[in-house]
Amino acid sequence: MAAARPDTPYEMEMVMAVENWLTTFPEMERADLIAIRKALDAGYRAFSRSYGDLIESLFDPLLYFLVWFEKLLLSTPWWLVILIVVGLVYGASRSPKLLVGVAVSLLLIGYFGMWENTMRTLSIITVCTILSITLGIPIGIMMARSDRTQAVVTPVLDIMQTMPAFVYLIPVVMLLGIGKVPGVIAVVIYAIPPVIRLTNLGIRLVDKEVLEASMAFGATRRQRLWGVQMPLAMPTIMAGINQTIMMALAMVVIASMIGVKGLGQPVLKSITNQYFTMGLFNGLAIVTLAIIFDRVSQAYARRTQRHLQGNAHG
Amino acid sequence: MKIPTVLLSVVISGFLISPAVADCGKVTIADMNWNSASLIANVDRFILQHGYGCDAELVPGDTMPTGTSMVEKGEPDIAPELWSNSLKAAIDKGVAEKRLRVAGKSLTDGGEEGFWVPQYMVDKDPSLATIAGIKAKAKLFKHPEDDNKSGFYTCPAGWNCQISAGNLFKALKLKDDGFELVDPGSGAGLAGAIAKAFTREEAWFGYYWAPTAVLGKHKMVKVDFGSGADREEYMTCTTSAECENPKVTMYPPSLVETVTTESFARRATEAFGYLQKRGFKNAQMNELLAWVEENQADGNIAMEYFLKNHEATWQPWVSTEVAARVKKALAGL
Repeated sequence: MAAARPDTPYEMEMVMAVENWLTTFPEMERADLIAIRKALDAGYRAFSRSYGDLIESLFDPLLYFLVWFEKLLLSTPWWLVILIVVGLVYGASRSPKLLVGVAVSLLLIGYFGMWENTMRTLSIITVCTILSITLGIPIGIMMARSDRTQAVVTPVLDIMQTMPAFVYLIPVVMLLGIGKVPGVIAVVIYAIPPVIRLTNLGIRLVDKEVLEASMAFGATRRQRLWGVQMPLAMPTIMAGINQTIMMALAMVVIASMIGVKGLGQPVLKSITNQYFTMGLFNGLAIVTLAIIFDRVSQAYARRTQRHLQGNAHG
Repeated sequence: MKIPTVLLSVVISGFLISPAVADCGKVTIADMNWNSASLIANVDRFILQHGYGCDAELVPGDTMPTGTSMVEKGEPDIAPELWSNSLKAAIDKGVAEKRLRVAGKSLTDGGEEGFWVPQYMVDKDPSLATIAGIKAKAKLFKHPEDDNKSGFYTCPAGWNCQISAGNLFKALKLKDDGFELVDPGSGAGLAGAIAKAFTREEAWFGYYWAPTAVLGKHKMVKVDFGSGADREEYMTCTTSAECENPKVTMYPPSLVETVTTESFARRATEAFGYLQKRGFKNAQMNELLAWVEENQADGNIAMEYFLKNHEATWQPWVSTEVAARVKKALAGL
C-alpha cells in the first residue's frame, strides 16, 4: 500500500481528482447547462415570434375543415348519423351481427348523454385517420423502395412513438395556440408510425420470385407497385391502418389537454375529481368508437382480400 | 444484554439527532406540480430532515388527489401549499373527524385569482383594465377557432376554478358581447396559450392565479369588475356548480394553507410547530418564482437558493438549535 501513497501535494491532488471523477459523474457545469437551455428556449421564442403568424395561417384551411366537419356532425340529426354509420358498417362488412352491435352501442352512447362529445371525437379522429393514411402510405412506399430512406425515417418514427407528447405539445401550442390544429398534429405524430412501418414491411415482404415473374412480363416500376406489391402487401398495410386508428383514439385524452373538445375532456374532468363512473362511461365511449373503426376496417380488409384471391384464382 | 442495546440505541440516536425529535419518523410531503408548491415542499423536506431528524420524502401530488388521499388514507403527511377553497368541505370534514389538521397559511397574503389581460394591452388602452372596457372592445379578443367570436380562456376542465370562472362568466354576461369559454384542457395548455400571446403581443383575456411564475414573468393586469369582493356570495354561489343566479364579485383572496394529517401533528409536535410558522408573502414568492424561472431551476435548487440567500426569512420559523443544524447541513451541499 505504501507505494500507492501520494508523496507530493501535486500527486495528492491528482489522486483526489481521479477519485472524484470515478465516484461522481463528470457533469457539465450547471451554469453552462442553464445557458444552453435558456439559449434554445429564447431561440424557439424568437422563431415563434417571427414565423408564428405565417405558420398559423398555413394551417388555417385545416382548421376551417375541422370546424366545418365538426359542425356538420353536430348539426346532423342523430338518427341520420346512426343510419349513415350503420350503412358504412354494413357496406364494409356485410355482417348483420356487426350492424346490430354498432347501432345498439351508438344508441347507448346517446342515451347516456355523450352524443355531442362522441361526435366531436368522431370528427377529429376521422380527420386524423385520413391524414395519417394519406401521408403514411406514400412515406411507407418510399421507405420500401430505398434503404437509405428507411435508414433515415426509422429513427424519426422511433422518436415520434416514444417522445412524451407534452414535450412537443407545448411548443406546438406556443406556435399555433390551443385547440384543434395542435391536437390534430399531436395525434397524427403519435398515430402515423404504424401505417408507415407496416406499409414498408408489407412491400418488402412481397416474394422476390413473384416480382421477377412480373418483370419477365415486362411490367414497369409503377405497374409492379400497384399491380403486384400493393395488393400483396394489403393485409399488412391494413393491419397498420388499424393500429393507426387505435393509437389515434388513445390520444384523445392527451389532445384534450390542449383544448380539443370531445370525449377526452370529461375523462380529464373525472380524473381530477375522482368521478370514477363518469370516467368509465366516457372511456367506454372511446372504446366503442375504436371497436367500430376496428371491426369495420378489418371486415373491409378481409372482404377485399377475398376479392383479390378470387381474382388470382380466376 | 438488554441494557447495553437500549443504551447503544440511545447513544446512536443521540449522536445522530437530538432525542426530543427522534419520534418524527417517516414523513411524506406532497410535491405539487407547480413551482411555488414544489419550492415550499423542498424547503420543508430539507428543514424537517436536517433540523428535526425526520425521514422526509417527497411524493408527487396535486390539489384534488392529495387532499382526497389525505382525508381518506392519511397519506401523504403534509400538503405544504393547499389551495383549500377548492376542497373546503373535504378539509372541514377531515378536521372535524380528527383526520387532518391545518397548520397555518403557507402564503400569508392568500392566493390571488382573477380575470387578467396583458399589461401591454392596458398600456395602449387603459380602459381594458375594467370589465366595461373589455366588453366594449370584445372584438379584440379573437376566439382561436372562430373569428366571429371572442374567446375567454377559462380554467382547465375539472379544476374547481372552472366552476367559479364559469359562474362569473355568466354573471358578467360576457356571452352577450360575443365571448365564448375556451377550455385550455390543462394547466400547461393555459400557460402555453398565455406564453403564445405574449411572444407575439396578441390580445388575451382569461382566468389565472398568483403567485405563479407565469404571472411573475408575463406582466398582467387583474381586470376590475367594479364590484369589490363579496366573500359571502363567493362562498355560497360563485364556487358552487348548482349556483342558479350568480352575481358579479371579485375573487376574495383564497386561503392557501399547510395541511397535515392528524397522526403527523401528534407524533411530531416540534416539526408541526415549524409548519405553523412557515409562511411566504406573495411579493417575496413572486420574486423567488421569477428567479426559479430565470434559472430554470427545479424545486431542489430553488430550495438551496432560498435557504442560502434568505436566511432572515426562514430563521424565525425555527428555533436557534434547529437553525444551526439546518445551516450545517446547508454548508455540506
